[in-house]
Amino acid sequence: MLLGTIVYAIINSVILILMSIGFNLTFGISGISNFAYGAFYILAAFVTWMLLNLLGFPYVLSILISIVFTAVIGALMYRFVLMRVRGQVLSEVIATFGIGLAILEFFRYLGFVGVEYALPVFIDESFMIGNVYVDMQRILIVLSSIVLVILLWLFVHYTSLGLAFRGIAQDERTALTFGMDSDRIATLSVSLGAGLAAIAATVIIPLGTISVSQGYDVLINALAVSIIGGLGSTGGVIVASLLVGFAQRFTDTYIGSHWTMIVSLLALLIVLVIKPSGLYGKQKELEERI
Amino acid sequence: MKKCICFLSVVLVFAFVLTSPFMTAYAADPIVIGVPTSTGFVEGKEGLAVVEMAVADINAAGGVKVGSENRMFKVESIDIRDAAPGVPVPEALMGIEKLILEKKPAALLIGPFRSEALLAAMDILTKYKVPLLGTIAMTPASEGKIKKEPDKYKYVFRTCLNAVYLVKYLVGTMSFINKEFGFNKVYIMHQDVAWARATADGMVKRYFEKAGWTVVGQESYPTGASDFSSALMKARSSGAQVILPIFDMPQSGTLVKQWKSMKVPALLAGFISPLAGPGAWKTFDKKIGGAVNCNFELGSAIASAKVPQSVEFLKAYEKKFGKPMEAGHGPGPTYESVYILKEAIERAGTLDPDSLVAEIQKTDRTGVMGRIKFDDGHQAVFGMDPKEAAVACVFQWNDKGERVNVFPEAIADAQIQLPAGLKAAK
Repeated sequence: MLLGTIVYAIINSVILILMSIGFNLTFGISGISNFAYGAFYILAAFVTWMLLNLLGFPYVLSILISIVFTAVIGALMYRFVLMRVRGQVLSEVIATFGIGLAILEFFRYLGFVGVEYALPVFIDESFMIGNVYVDMQRILIVLSSIVLVILLWLFVHYTSLGLAFRGIAQDERTALTFGMDSDRIATLSVSLGAGLAAIAATVIIPLGTISVSQGYDVLINALAVSIIGGLGSTGGVIVASLLVGFAQRFTDTYIGSHWTMIVSLLALLIVLVIKPSGLYGKQKELEERI
Repeated sequence: MKKCICFLSVVLVFAFVLTSPFMTAYAADPIVIGVPTSTGFVEGKEGLAVVEMAVADINAAGGVKVGSENRMFKVESIDIRDAAPGVPVPEALMGIEKLILEKKPAALLIGPFRSEALLAAMDILTKYKVPLLGTIAMTPASEGKIKKEPDKYKYVFRTCLNAVYLVKYLVGTMSFINKEFGFNKVYIMHQDVAWARATADGMVKRYFEKAGWTVVGQESYPTGASDFSSALMKARSSGAQVILPIFDMPQSGTLVKQWKSMKVPALLAGFISPLAGPGAWKTFDKKIGGAVNCNFELGSAIASAKVPQSVEFLKAYEKKFGKPMEAGHGPGPTYESVYILKEAIERAGTLDPDSLVAEIQKTDRTGVMGRIKFDDGHQAVFGMDPKEAAVACVFQWNDKGERVNVFPEAIADAQIQLPAGLKAAK
């Protein structure tokens, strides 16, 4: 039981990392809390489904198109909505939440409800780790997450655009004096965040079926993990995901499954009371309040 | 000249009166059927679809005879979202009240998903005197309220089965499994909502403990949970021979996939909403052979050749909407509820709610679920023979992607088979 719990706790944690990294990256670079993040996750899933089942596209092509499409929608959202309210935090939250709500409820209105809305797994096999069976899809989630984190690290450290992202994140005004266009960078960061949500959707959704309400769950998980880890800190997201993921699985196994859902919210509460900026957060003004 | 002016004036007055709104309204006043339910979930979505299908058929045949005139039905729906996780009950009640006040329905169909919402809505229905033929929420507590205060809560009926009847069907299934295969170790996994808790607890107290089964574990999951690995590992390590799942949330599809991928050597027998309809075969990559599922009513995504109306109903649905029905709870009784309402209106000759309620209580019709009558708790009576009562339908997926009816015996086409890889205990 212990080995199985640890294995699935790692998988659970990685799923949380994948779900949260896009949200956290967008905030870290541009300071925008993208509350449409969960909607982008579901949008990518449904677009993939439509391309695969209605238009008969190959699965891999459907995934690639949906990732690009979702990233473009993210960019358009910034360009035509968020740019006008940039800097007004509450307006950004309300605008993105409204857009997210509209996207999710539009799918519900169109009748995208039912068991037929599901994505196939990439490889339908199970493997033994010790005495625990783990399906290949979950192993792929772990592998893709590792690859994604490495690629992101390389991107922000060794590409000019990635360095521009870091520059804007560190000090926007100084970055502006170096000729970095903050609106362009913000557009790209929101777009990248949306694209990461799409990547997360295409590897995680095949574990079950596509459900509109998952969009809200993804947003809550991403928000909780990002706040616990520290908004803007990728390392914080990874550590927080591991903490929450392990806590959830061990609670499920040794205490009771009905307590699992409150674990992340309880962790959030504790962090907000003790260290409001999160484990690796740098928002000093939050620290000074306690 | 004076006569001419007089004549023209009379013609103009008549023309005004005949084309004025109140005259137009009186001539074509439809009977409004309200449908307040969670239309964003498959049971609500397909339930609303069958209401529209039944209404279209009734209207095409001339409508409903109310006294001496024929009137058409008209459907007004509202998504009360009570099935979504985190939606508070007062939000759902606001939706019901809004529908009643704005659309003034003669009756409501389907109703809330969550029993908590239904129990709270009963007072609203009493306040506005609007009959409800509920077809989703399953708590027996509503019947208790009706029996305790029949005059106050007489407006509430339930056409679908309740948790008590569901327990009876599951007991029948488990008894067969025990007798045929010698299985007596069960792991129960259920959703943390009233109907599922009541069903799970009912199974433990009324059957498993008395029949000598060992309940090796029981887990409840909040709506929205999507990882069942811990329970499945516990089921395997404790030697469970049967897993009894009780879920209506869409995320429970993950349980089916995990059951297969983790190769848990136990028979899956219970109710998982995503397994109910024919689409499950493709959704779960054709790997659900052997799973046993109880659709709550015959006609809800499952039919029996022994009840021809159920077959005709599903064919008509697929023809009208272009795809098969997937919801294993709700559409069958919802379809019947439209006709129950129609017949009650015609017998009463009026839309007066108290008269309607009295006539609904006298219902005795045979339809897609079998024979429908209400008991003194305003609950449709369910049994084992469709000639005597309404029936649910337990079926098993075979390896060819077919759903084979296995219980009750009156509509069974075969017996439960053990899937490949599982051995009988005797």
